[in-house]
Amino acid sequence: MSTPDAFSQAGKTAVLQNIHGTMEFLRKYAPFNQMEPAHLTFLVENCELRFYAEGDCIISPDDGVVQHFYIVKQGRVHGQRPHTAKRGTDTTFEVIVGECFPMAALMGERATRTAHLAAEDTFCFLLNKPAFVKLVSSSPVFRDFAMRGVSSLLDLVNQQAQMRAVESLGEQYSLETSIGELALHHPVSCLPSRPLNEAVAMMQQENVGSIVIVDEDLHPQGIFTLRDLRRAIGTGTTDLSQPISQFMTHDPFYLPPDATAFDAAIAMTERHIAHVCVVENGLLQGVISERDLFSLQRVDLVHLAQTIRHADRVDALVVIRSRIKQLVDNMLAHGASSTQITHIVTLLNDHTVCRVIELAIEHMGDPGVPFTWLCFGSEGRQEQTLYTDQDNGILFEAADAAEAAHIRGRLLPLAERINRDLDTCGFSLCKGNIMASNPQLCLSRQEWSRRFSSFVREATPENLLGSTIYFDLRSIWGPSEGCEQLRRDLLDEIKGNSLFQRMMADNALRHRPPVGRFRDFVVARKGEGKDTLDLKVQGLTPFVDGARLLALSNDIGTCNTLERLRKLVEKGVIEKKDGAAYEEAYHFIQQTRMQHHQQQARDELPYSNRLDPDTLNVLDRRILRESFRQAQRLQASLAVRYQL
Amino acid sequence: MSMFWFNPRGPKLPPEQQQRIDELPRPHAPQTVPLRQQRLVVLDLETTGLHLKRDLVIAIGAVVIEDGAIDYSQQFECTLCRQVKVTESVLIHGIAPSELANGLPPAEALLSFMEFAAGSVILAFHAPFDQRMLGRALKRELGYTMDHTFLDVADLAPMLFPEAMIHRGGLDHWLDYFNIHIPQRHNASADAMATAEIALILLHRAQRVGLTSLDELAQRLRCWQRARKAAFNSI
Repeated sequence: MSTPDAFSQAGKTAVLQNIHGTMEFLRKYAPFNQMEPAHLTFLVENCELRFYAEGDCIISPDDGVVQHFYIVKQGRVHGQRPHTAKRGTDTTFEVIVGECFPMAALMGERATRTAHLAAEDTFCFLLNKPAFVKLVSSSPVFRDFAMRGVSSLLDLVNQQAQMRAVESLGEQYSLETSIGELALHHPVSCLPSRPLNEAVAMMQQENVGSIVIVDEDLHPQGIFTLRDLRRAIGTGTTDLSQPISQFMTHDPFYLPPDATAFDAAIAMTERHIAHVCVVENGLLQGVISERDLFSLQRVDLVHLAQTIRHADRVDALVVIRSRIKQLVDNMLAHGASSTQITHIVTLLNDHTVCRVIELAIEHMGDPGVPFTWLCFGSEGRQEQTLYTDQDNGILFEAADAAEAAHIRGRLLPLAERINRDLDTCGFSLCKGNIMASNPQLCLSRQEWSRRFSSFVREATPENLLGSTIYFDLRSIWGPSEGCEQLRRDLLDEIKGNSLFQRMMADNALRHRPPVGRFRDFVVARKGEGKDTLDLKVQGLTPFVDGARLLALSNDIGTCNTLERLRKLVEKGVIEKKDGAAYEEAYHFIQQTRMQHHQQQARDELPYSNRLDPDTLNVLDRRILRESFRQAQRLQASLAVRYQL
Repeated sequence: MSMFWFNPRGPKLPPEQQQRIDELPRPHAPQTVPLRQQRLVVLDLETTGLHLKRDLVIAIGAVVIEDGAIDYSQQFECTLCRQVKVTESVLIHGIAPSELANGLPPAEALLSFMEFAAGSVILAFHAPFDQRMLGRALKRELGYTMDHTFLDVADLAPMLFPEAMIHRGGLDHWLDYFNIHIPQRHNASADAMATAEIALILLHRAQRVGLTSLDELAQRLRCWQRARKAAFNSI
């Protein structure tokens, strides 16, 4: 029977009960859930079901060219390779219910390189090779899956997330849209010699808020916005026939056309601007305004940041903070990634902290000494979620201990006020008293330096714990030079101290990812968190600790975990492929955590990082498990590197 | 006196059906061929009740184990056209009277099944029940005397897995023990599939303990059944 006949036949005859049941079973898993019914029927009708008792070899390199495609119906299968160094074998991967093997060998028409063993009593569906080939040639979905293997799973999730985003927006916009697509393509522009009144007339006519000043070859020279106009008119002495070049803002900020809407929004927020030029090869291509972004996403980001910076009372900040929560909700719902969201939350939190400090100074009077507001921990790594507590300190310059004590005395009341106001704004007070109002954390640069070097030299458990918090530091407000100097001293100190590095490595292995060698997820057996796992401590912390250790030991100053991983790849400390896998895994766990928090907020439950993996859909579950496996791999590599 | 209405050789069938009956392959006795190569038919019947003389077969489900695997391309599933009173058993098999009315004529259904089974050894859970119900139906509808070999999975299971400590367990006990999940119980096809999955595990164990041919397995089973009966009687 030729292939099309076989499929139409499968479609026509009444589907037998057991065939139907098996199709229903397979439909819970990718790629079967996306295959056409006729193709899926064909697959099932040509299957056989086999049983393998625990320890049975299902397929091995000695069996020659692979003749079957296997789908696990029940049980678990381990891929095992002979140990390179030791005797015995090493489990390299695990295949669970709904998953398939051996894809690469089957597509490559060769034997498997790994022996596949039943890890427990296992049933597998087997599809013979002729039927597999037919299916690959007739089902595009199946072909796609077979060609791309497991990596297509991650793409699938991304596709799903984007599809959801598009559905809820009702249009094909997302923060990932390039500004080249969004920007006004015939930007309003004029030569520098154009008189001010004529330029403004052009803006009026085109109903835009900005005009770009370009030379004859369209190289942007400056930008003139309504804000500039206000300034020009406000003086009351301006001659409106003067050339616009006298009023414009020189060297306007620009982005390339392939930058995203998100990049533009961040740039506007950071720089307090409302227009970004789109420039390619030095030539003006378009302009994108804050308004364009609003109409796009209803992302109130720029506006929120401005409101924060102009808030005149702490109470006003409290109100604005609740809108940040809405913003994050919206963005999550619209398919923003966890990286984008942490970025935004960090940005807005920074704005809030700065404003709180400024307001406190206004109220209590300037202490008269320059100081730098430091933050530590997740805030220092720029990885905050909305639910966060304070981890901060103050750094100042002092000539000697006496001066330091004197300055400390002047700064502490202010710090206390700032801590209290931040608490009012929703940054809850730190239970461990890691706050600037703590005299031990309001220090001169020399004092900080001494403190840090004692962490490195005297590796007590408290100091080790301290290093995991304080060594992720960043300056938020005030001059940043002192903080950078402190960081350089710290890196020099750690570079030569292998004992400390080893202790940190030991510490980084403390939190084990919740995947077992012989089970799929390891969840708490009893207590309040029964059947759940901790996404933060068991999932993210291994990456954070691992990246910190490797970065500090390799003279890398950045604190953000993903940044650290990227720098480590650049320096060749970790392999590019590993870095990408870690990043992907970290990102997925973080995303899962945020969605979990969002769900808890909707259900009016207290927020927690504990998740029951059974509440996830099958695909997310599998990817989460793979993500934890990456954390396990990172830890294993640390254990080897530091010989633990 | 002529008793024209009484035919000791069974009902009068159309010649076409009679020919098909005559052409049915002879059943094989359990042979000494390796277990793996034996074709086995795993059967489950749904009946109107548990009475061996009064109740009727209303659905037949069967799957085939060949070359040590359940072959999805060989499955049998069929509902028989029966006019029956609605009794509480409808709650168990879940086949509505209307569905029964749309089934195949019983003679045709049974004949198709026998063609499907060919001469293979038949496995069933509580096989004596299925054997007698099917035998009676075949006699009545086709005038055919079935002498296929039946092996009882309900006995094979405790014989091969004494560690399960399940002595007179039902299908559900064993499904539970082997952790086999069946989407729909009490449906002839699904129950046949469930029984077949258990059978795969049992055949695997049989080979491990050195019972490599069906003949040996059948013999061991008879010994085990006798021993159990003796033990039961001596209590």
